[in-house]
Amino acid sequence: MAVEPADDLLARATALLTLEAEYLDRRRWQDWLSLYTEDAVFWAPAWAGDETWTSDPQRQVSLIWADRLNLAARIFRVEGGDSFASVPLPLTVHLVTGIAVTSVAAETVEVRANWLVHSFLRISGAIVRAGRYEYGLRRAGAELKIVRKKVFIHDDAITGAIDFYNI
Amino acid sequence: MTTSDALRNDLRSVKDLIDDRVEQDVFRVHKSIYNDPAIFDLELKRIFAKAWIYVCHESQVKRAGDYVATEIAHQPVFVMRTAKGGIAAYFDACAHRGARLTTGRTGHAPTITCRYHGWCFNTEGKCTKIQFEKLGWPDGLPRDFDPNLRPVPRVASYRGFIFASLDAAAESLESFLGKATCKVIDLLADQSPDGLEVLEGSIRYRMRANWKFQCENGADGYHVAAVHRNYAATVVYREQLEGPSLDPLKATEAGRILNRTGTATGSYDLGRGHMLNWSDRANPAAIPLYEREAQLLERFPPEHVRWMLRRGRVFTGFPNFLLNDVASTSIRIWRPISVNETELEAWCFAPVGESEKARAARIRKFEDFFFPSSLAVPDDVFAMEAAHQGNSATDLGWVRFARGYATVVSGADEPARSLGMEPDSSNTQGDSETVFGGFYRRWLGMMANGE
Repeated sequence: MAVEPADDLLARATALLTLEAEYLDRRRWQDWLSLYTEDAVFWAPAWAGDETWTSDPQRQVSLIWADRLNLAARIFRVEGGDSFASVPLPLTVHLVTGIAVTSVAAETVEVRANWLVHSFLRISGAIVRAGRYEYGLRRAGAELKIVRKKVFIHDDAITGAIDFYNI
Repeated sequence: MTTSDALRNDLRSVKDLIDDRVEQDVFRVHKSIYNDPAIFDLELKRIFAKAWIYVCHESQVKRAGDYVATEIAHQPVFVMRTAKGGIAAYFDACAHRGARLTTGRTGHAPTITCRYHGWCFNTEGKCTKIQFEKLGWPDGLPRDFDPNLRPVPRVASYRGFIFASLDAAAESLESFLGKATCKVIDLLADQSPDGLEVLEGSIRYRMRANWKFQCENGADGYHVAAVHRNYAATVVYREQLEGPSLDPLKATEAGRILNRTGTATGSYDLGRGHMLNWSDRANPAAIPLYEREAQLLERFPPEHVRWMLRRGRVFTGFPNFLLNDVASTSIRIWRPISVNETELEAWCFAPVGESEKARAARIRKFEDFFFPSSLAVPDDVFAMEAAHQGNSATDLGWVRFARGYATVVSGADEPARSLGMEPDSSNTQGDSETVFGGFYRRWLGMMANGE
């Protein structure tokens, strides 16, 4: 459920999510990573049943469960030039919509959104995937930073790679 | 079968697709086996409809009525725990007009209800309700109308791994696997006195490539240093970022992957088309099972424990399953969709009762390697797709498996003997290509059956 944010939080959250999508689509990886706090977690749960996702990363398997070091390592991977799946990288377009603030606390803001990513390689064509995002954003003065990003991937026939840049 | 161009123009019969002159160090397969739809159709009939196919692990169907839905040779089936505690497999089709019964990939249905006309079945497959039976059949169903679910002809389990076969006349599962493969599975199942469990969290993925490329890739030690160089470099980079505080369980044997540690490796043609690659671990403390070494040594001979714990193993089972015990543990299966598309699915499994710390480390290491979202499997998928694309150049004729003939011996080598295992052949190089001979001889044996 969306809540009515007290100030311009929704506009600021929308700007942040839009900027994140732009950085990913433009492959500005370090700028993208700078949107995350040092203690951030990027989490894409896996299927646990047909309508539910894994909920305990210490006991169940996720698609991606990455702290900031893991995100830095994933950037290293795609920049390395020797990953079969990452050379060439697809052209991605992130469509992020339905952004809403779902809760507000003193230091954090919870935000939800829908996503659709169009990934295109000339050699193999287009792949379209979609799902939901749940964000935890932390207020740091006038800034909002991502402390948690949870990505639900509505797909069970994954073609190509899944990585931070195309979900 | 349809006579395809390759068979009509170049090759007299399926036997001509394999050029087996291993006594002259020549073993070749014709490229059309990866591309020809007629060959694919024959594979479904003669291999997938005849072999034992891995369907799920017993831990995935614990309670009566739990099921896993899958397919064998394009036939929809489901595996179910029965009310009596047994394992059953049924064609996923109502006995009445054939509608699919299951509603998901997995589920729980102590009573199986067909949503089309309301017939009900119990977990033993017996029809328990025919909607408005007396109105439609006042004298009861015709005598020759069997209202019960049709069981898949054969279902059997080896150490918790459940297999099914569409062939009522199939040999026993243990015979199909063979003694050497059973030993390889024992090395997994013996890791806990309480057995293994498959962890929650799964996803299916696809490769635009023939299914046999996954069979080859699983047993191909040679690709690791090239295709997974990126994985190794990435985890080393991450460990450097982590710094001196790195927990031993978070370490990865990147050096071994890059073939730089000088540890012993090997590969075995296990017989019956099954293959094993192994490599001594440079750093056993990095694996989640390490905490159990003392307990395992109380229960098993040291050489057995050495194989379980100090040797990484990749087992590729004929025709379409793989068991990994390397950085983490995985089951992978692949289902042929068409001659040029394959659906894959992977699960993490673990010994029951391991510590929470080891379990979490096992899960992180699995996520590093075994999903289409990992640092490694996407590279495999793209490599296999490139192999498929390049091998559509059937004008070139043959793929030759030529590496490793200098180091292969017939029968067991010393590490195999230490486990009491008798492979058909052993190779002291894990990156050799001699194991593929065993796989393709088995492939041909099944394909040529009936000609």
